[in-house]
Amino acid sequence: MTTSRRSLFAGASALAAAGLLDHLPGRAARAAERAGTLKVALLGLDTSDPHRHTGSIAVQQVYVEGLTSIADDGRAIPYLAESWRIENEGRRYVFRIREGVRFHNGRVMTAEDVKANAERVRDRIGRGWLSAPMKLVTRLEAPDARSFVMEMSEPYGPLLNLLSELWIVAPESEGWGGTIRQPIGTGPFRFTRWVPNELFRGEAHDGYWQAGLPRAEAVEFVLRDMDDPSLALRAGDLHIARARFAALPELRADPNIEIQFMKDTTWYFWSFNNRRPRPPFDRVKVREAIAYAMDKPGLMRLIAGEAGVVTNQMAAPGQFYWDEAIHAADRHAAPDLDRARAILRAEGVEPARTPLRIVSWQTDYAQAAAQAMRSLGFQVEHIALDDLGAQRRLNQYDWDLAPFASGPRADIFLRFIRMLSDGPNVGLWGGPQDPAFDALVKRAVAATDLAQRRALYLDAWRHAMDRYWTVVIGHAAEAIANRREVTGWRPGFTWGANRVDGGLAFARIG
Amino acid sequence: MRLAAPVLRQLLTAAAIGVLVFVLMRVIPGDVVDVLGIEGDLSEQEQQALRAELGLDAGWWVQFLRWVGGTLRGDLGLSLRYNRPVAEMIGYALPHTLRLAALALGLGLALGIAAAAVAAARPHGIWPLLVQALNVWSIALPTFCVGLAAILVFSLWLGWLPVRGQLLMPVLVLGIDIAGQIAKPLHEELKEILATPFIRAARAKGLGPGAIVLGHVLPNAAGVLSSVSGLILAGLISGALTMEVLFGLPGLGSLAFQAIAGRDWTVLQSVVLLFALGVIVANLLADLAHRLADPRVR
Amino acid sequence: MPEAPLPTRHVAEAVAAPAASRASPWRRPLLLLALAGLFALVGPWIAPQDPLWQDLAARNLPPQPGAWLGTDNLGRDVLSRLLAGARITVLVAGGATALALAVGAGLGLAALAAGALPAALVFGLIDMIRALPSVLLGLALMVALGTGVGPVTIAIGLSFAPTFAVVARQAWLRERQAAYVEAAVASGTHPAVILRRHIAPNVAGALITQAAIILPRAVTTESVLSFLGLGVSPETPTWGRMIAAGLPFVERAPHAVLAPVVALSLLTLVLAVAGDHIRAAADPLRRGTG
Repeated sequence: MTTSRRSLFAGASALAAAGLLDHLPGRAARAAERAGTLKVALLGLDTSDPHRHTGSIAVQQVYVEGLTSIADDGRAIPYLAESWRIENEGRRYVFRIREGVRFHNGRVMTAEDVKANAERVRDRIGRGWLSAPMKLVTRLEAPDARSFVMEMSEPYGPLLNLLSELWIVAPESEGWGGTIRQPIGTGPFRFTRWVPNELFRGEAHDGYWQAGLPRAEAVEFVLRDMDDPSLALRAGDLHIARARFAALPELRADPNIEIQFMKDTTWYFWSFNNRRPRPPFDRVKVREAIAYAMDKPGLMRLIAGEAGVVTNQMAAPGQFYWDEAIHAADRHAAPDLDRARAILRAEGVEPARTPLRIVSWQTDYAQAAAQAMRSLGFQVEHIALDDLGAQRRLNQYDWDLAPFASGPRADIFLRFIRMLSDGPNVGLWGGPQDPAFDALVKRAVAATDLAQRRALYLDAWRHAMDRYWTVVIGHAAEAIANRREVTGWRPGFTWGANRVDGGLAFARIG
Repeated sequence: MRLAAPVLRQLLTAAAIGVLVFVLMRVIPGDVVDVLGIEGDLSEQEQQALRAELGLDAGWWVQFLRWVGGTLRGDLGLSLRYNRPVAEMIGYALPHTLRLAALALGLGLALGIAAAAVAAARPHGIWPLLVQALNVWSIALPTFCVGLAAILVFSLWLGWLPVRGQLLMPVLVLGIDIAGQIAKPLHEELKEILATPFIRAARAKGLGPGAIVLGHVLPNAAGVLSSVSGLILAGLISGALTMEVLFGLPGLGSLAFQAIAGRDWTVLQSVVLLFALGVIVANLLADLAHRLADPRVR
Repeated sequence: MPEAPLPTRHVAEAVAAPAASRASPWRRPLLLLALAGLFALVGPWIAPQDPLWQDLAARNLPPQPGAWLGTDNLGRDVLSRLLAGARITVLVAGGATALALAVGAGLGLAALAAGALPAALVFGLIDMIRALPSVLLGLALMVALGTGVGPVTIAIGLSFAPTFAVVARQAWLRERQAAYVEAAVASGTHPAVILRRHIAPNVAGALITQAAIILPRAVTTESVLSFLGLGVSPETPTWGRMIAAGLPFVERAPHAVLAPVVALSLLTLVLAVAGDHIRAAADPLRRGTG
């Protein structure tokens, strides 16, 4: 080494020793008191390939991030994209990529990486919720390191929200050409270890782009489907856990536990068979009679205690896409057995001679629904199955009533998609195939003006409601409980364990 | 050479089990793509593509040969559902099950042998009654019920949280069950042995009770133990599975249950094969121990 | 036809053995079993309430007059469900045991009669099946057959059939080699008579003994399966189902779990003790091998 380099080296060492280097971006977090391993039990993890996520999405968000993040009110806010412009009436999106975001292997993320990820989802994956918008993409460009351009054949309203689930993974990740085995993301924790159905461990990413985060050394998810994580929570074996509604009273009574709620809701409904309806349940009046027999307030109390709310729409009361007038006009807000029986008589239906087949999961509220039908006098056959069995049975379309539930989503479109003619997994909603409905939803999606989109969505919903495709019982926000020594943790809009403005990166123990 | 024949026979059994399991799995309706399809909202077309990708579209004969080839090479394949090496998943689960089984067996043997020995030594105390009680307990009360009762008692009334997820309860439940299975037959055998002439001769020779127990009594007892070992092992495996599911513990039982629910053949095949091999090995070991310990059998 | 003269005392003793097993020691435990079975079958008719009726306003009530064991999370009367569940448990366990006996012994004996090679094949297969944990086997069969009382009975029955085949074979071989049978053959007694008078009763005795051992296990297996969520439909009040449904609310309504657990334990206790008596009566000289 020459003298000047040696003295530079010596000077740098001195600076480092003096701790002054700690004030450079990225080093600050390392110097901060990062302590402890967060033990969390939310949902499971089904795949190590973030683009192939299949439903349960709670864990991935700690190691991968998207261009946008969902804020507490359901809007898309900047995440890996610092800002964006929407041009050409909603057909062209120009994203400004955030600077200085490092992958877990130290490399800086650029617009090229974002483009590679979008291409992978469009070309190599072809399934999941992103496949719908990807089909509309005509061009993906990265004109410079900080600009990413998406051009669509037609405007697509939900795009920004859905992009919150297009996670950016480094293309050098092992398995990029097939199924990613070791994802290298930008999230606050790395993908350290995964034992399927048992645990996931993520250790802190020292070069995380948000200064001072994460606050914990590591996070460990318990992936096993525990019947009751609240016991482990109360014993201190877990720091954060989903709380079943049934366990809420005991948790509230425990002074060491704090309960918070997700911002979006799980919605509960029963669907009729809309693909191949069996008489007499193909008649709207008969469906209306059945709706009069359901005790919505009683059912919501059974499901969620005091945490539930009765309504008749896919959006929860207070959300942007919910409508007060439609809610107030709900004829079935309280049961009316006499009216139900009168309608059935008028329709010439004799319940005692009419079989009614119910397909459901093994939940208490499905049993309550079955009893409601029995009280009308129907010959009820109740088939309660596990996830897989129920799905297969529903797809046979030889049933009459299906009481189910569905969880929080990044965008309301992901609820409407379940009633489209070519939608994915439509069995839970009876599989209607109605071009008029499809057209209404398509127009809503294409509307760039939010008020207009809302009006069109409501039109589509009224279309579905009038035909009694599916009847909403109500909504309940999922509860997440945490020990009081965990600070800085807030649940978000959906199950995602981390977001740009909250989540596990911000959580500190003690 | 004398052991070769039974070992060979057991190996053939293991191979045949492999075929049986493989066929059984395919008989169950629904496959992993159905499971993934539900969770991932896949269309029919996408499901077909996924099946091809996972190799499920080949005839099952082909799949079986692929699996056998891989297993013999030490490659247990990838989990159909999680795309993770099966060996890794089993490697995580196996030690947990082994620990539960070993601790339960250890406790059961210690408790059972101790109870039987003391009861034989002091025939007029409460110990023979204890042996009888243990016996009735293990016959009459299934470990499932005892486990549930333990959960109720310890989490509700004594407030020792949490009962599930800990090893103590399942080990106790299984251990006491095993102790009950061996205490009574062992006690009977010990009583007979203690009454035999050669024991009286050993006492007359001046051998201390410890030497008598070690040198004469226990070797004969080994015979009894190995004759019930088959039952014990079968019960231990079943019991460990049930305890794992009941108490929410990681292990082969939970792994197998998840694999059945998720139609994950590659995982299930290996797990079941492992179980069968385990039973076979344990039986062989018990047989071996019996031959070694009991001079009459040689 | 009178039996041929029996020259030795040893053979006379051996002959006496089957005769003894036909005597009264059988009757008491069998009577006990029959009573238990009858009570269980009658259960639903003496239940005070409809075991399926939900009352959402009366959920998780503690034991009180009118609901002597309280109500569960859907407001159903626990006592009535317990009694209704008894019937199903007894039906399923009894049916499964009978099926296991019929299939297992039938298959085993048929294989033995067919000759050495078929017997070797069949029993090799049976050995393999026995090496699998029965819970897993039951589970896999359940998933294949679906839910409902029929499929559960078949699944449990099939998973226990192998042990009956083995017992049948052991009994057959033992009897065939017994001294008194050799004596009868030597004295020229017709094979059919030997079969009917000597072998068949003892094989039947061994099978009934085994059935008495398997019955409580069938009860437990049914409970474990329905606890795991397989088995009969969710409204059907089997004890395993009641336990599974009640566990999430165990702090609020412990009675809803306690009742079925205690009932299950009592039933298996009674069955096991009765089975033990039967085993002792059938064969006071042999140790139980299960």
